[in-house]
Amino acid sequence: MTTDSQSQGSTNSAPGVPSDRALAAWEIASLVSSALIAEWILSAAAGRTKLIVAIPLAFAFVLVITSHFLRREGLHDLGFRFDNFLRAAKLLVLPMIVVAVLCVALGLVFGTRPDLLRWHPERPLAGQLALGFAWGFVQQYVLQSFINRRAQIVWQKGLRSVVLTAFVFSFLHFPNPWLMLVTFIGGLVWAFVYQRAPNLFALAISHSLMTWVVVSTLPMSALNHLRIGFKYFS
Amino acid sequence: MNNKSRARLIHLLISTSMAEALLITAVAVGFYFATTNPSLRGVLDQADNTSITGWAVDEANPSGHVEVQLFIDDRFAGDEVADQYRPDVHEAKRSPDDWHGFAFPTPQLTTGDHQARVYAVHTNGAGTRRTLQLIGKPYHFRIGQ
Repeated sequence: MTTDSQSQGSTNSAPGVPSDRALAAWEIASLVSSALIAEWILSAAAGRTKLIVAIPLAFAFVLVITSHFLRREGLHDLGFRFDNFLRAAKLLVLPMIVVAVLCVALGLVFGTRPDLLRWHPERPLAGQLALGFAWGFVQQYVLQSFINRRAQIVWQKGLRSVVLTAFVFSFLHFPNPWLMLVTFIGGLVWAFVYQRAPNLFALAISHSLMTWVVVSTLPMSALNHLRIGFKYFS
Repeated sequence: MNNKSRARLIHLLISTSMAEALLITAVAVGFYFATTNPSLRGVLDQADNTSITGWAVDEANPSGHVEVQLFIDDRFAGDEVADQYRPDVHEAKRSPDDWHGFAFPTPQLTTGDHQARVYAVHTNGAGTRRTLQLIGKPYHFRIGQ
């Protein structure tokens, strides 16, 4: 079991075979292209059935899981663990409070009062938070356990790999400008925390809570119902 | 990562790219057939200060009548069904009967050059999309003083 993804970057490749860094960059590009195909091409082409959108996402998950297997990454390495939950939570608390205060202030500047029940008001808030946790868990798994770890192979642990991870996360929310901004900020915080305390459960809770804060504070017209890709224009 | 794992990962990445390319190609072809009617034939024959005329036939359904829309200078100007008398189209063996013409009265236009376009309205099989398909070529005409 590999415990430090950085050590993989030093592995030498045979002549004519891409290095680990190149391979990791290729993996990131492949996953991003799968997501963009789903968001932009298949969402536009899909009629009543949206199942077709699942095809490139299935390709992406096959790649992610196979890559973990081939790189000998265990669940513990990826962040499926509880031993560092409190450490990750402690690292997350302050940035979350700062971002929440910023969102409230920004919303008030644009004339939107915070409304904690605005996020799918037809559902119970606890259920919506649980759904947010599940969806956040999937996103954080792909973003951190795959993209962040590959970014660390490309550029080592530190600022550049954190920014690359945040950039990819933000780019996948194109062309929604507000969502791109908040996902870039969130991506920076989550990628930074993951590099110090890789714990997907803490990140998923943070993801769900921050989505709640963003939806409750920023103008819904600006967020455009969190739509991204081709759907942003519908 | 050893070279065997590396090679398997490369194969997977290439396979994924190829599968996605094939998927996009299939979607593009499907999208083309869902949004266009390759059997549509027609011509915008004439446009002047009184009328804009032509004909349109769907060769996949020649007994049916095509819905057409007129746009002048990129603005919607009218909608009708191509069911006017056009024996010349029938004589030219482009339609099974004499009734596939269209004739729009020319609306009030300013003096000068104008462009008319006529589109056939195409509805896909599922009825989820209606698209406009240009008939013939745009027709340039002049309204005198």
